[in-house]
Amino acid sequence: MRHGINEENWENYLDGKLPPEERDRIEAHIIGCVACWEFQQRMLALNARLREVGAAMDRSHVLSDEQLSAGLRGVYAMICAGRDAAAPPTPVQQRLDELAAVMTVFCGTQAAASALQTAAQRSPARSLKQVTRENWEPFLQRLSAIAHVLCGRTGAHLVWESGRF
Amino acid sequence: MDWKQTIEAFRHNPTEESFNALFVAVYGRVRRYFLLRGTDAMTAEDLAQRVMFIVYNKSYELADAGLFQGWLFTIARNELLQHWRRGQSRIETVELEPLAEQLTIAGDLELRAEFAEWLSLLEPNERELVLLRFVEGLSYEELALAFKTPLGTVKSRLFAVREKLLRIVENKPVRSFGKKAR
Repeated sequence: MRHGINEENWENYLDGKLPPEERDRIEAHIIGCVACWEFQQRMLALNARLREVGAAMDRSHVLSDEQLSAGLRGVYAMICAGRDAAAPPTPVQQRLDELAAVMTVFCGTQAAASALQTAAQRSPARSLKQVTRENWEPFLQRLSAIAHVLCGRTGAHLVWESGRF
Repeated sequence: MDWKQTIEAFRHNPTEESFNALFVAVYGRVRRYFLLRGTDAMTAEDLAQRVMFIVYNKSYELADAGLFQGWLFTIARNELLQHWRRGQSRIETVELEPLAEQLTIAGDLELRAEFAEWLSLLEPNERELVLLRFVEGLSYEELALAFKTPLGTVKSRLFAVREKLLRIVENKPVRSFGKKAR
């Protein structure tokens, strides 16, 4: 506090945020006090310089359309990944998980995963991601055939029974 | 539309279109926030995208849209701290060398080089306050939110930093009446 004006009031005054009566009190003092008037002038000059810097910074770092598009794509990829992670598994996904679990008992995790992928690739679905209820039957037939080789007749029967909707 | 209108529009009607508008309004500033604090361009983009992802998911939680910038830079600050913690190789302050580099990239060279020099003479917290207030344009209320500090404290600190900057800029005592007046 100097000359009855504390730091918060100075800050508000310099920023034009003081209520009128308080502003009038400070201005009445400044009119009669050379030191405070000089200080106010120097602070106003500094503020002008800082505003100039802020404006200069805004002129820099302007992004191109490509940079904006790339950024936006990145955010939407995160949004989609978040949705996928939060979404409950579909009935097809659940059934695929069950089939993988059944086959893992007979032939191990890696062979089970490969069998599922191969069956999908050789069925109308063409890939595991595109297996749906509509193309499930031919996929399951392929998988049972593979399971017959990998897990024997019992394993193939279990795969067939576990996989039927 | 400025960022205030875009955040209101997005909160009111969170569609792809309204988010795209908000993204265009603030992404560049968030990216700049990280660049000015010493990250490389690729990291700045990654972190800025993470911030925008949080904005997308959480902006409905913000009670007062007028405080959006304070909230935005609080998220950015947290992301930066987490980034540094993951790397465990950086001190948690504004890095000066990249800051000076960023400030002197293209155009307004003299002015920004001078500003970088002023900033180099401030303490890390003071520097952060100056950057958020004068470069990012945060209000007192938003600064209070970003620094988790009472409003009055923010104003006093800001005034103290202005006095210090004045001393730096003019290279002389701030107020000649200082001691005599007591």
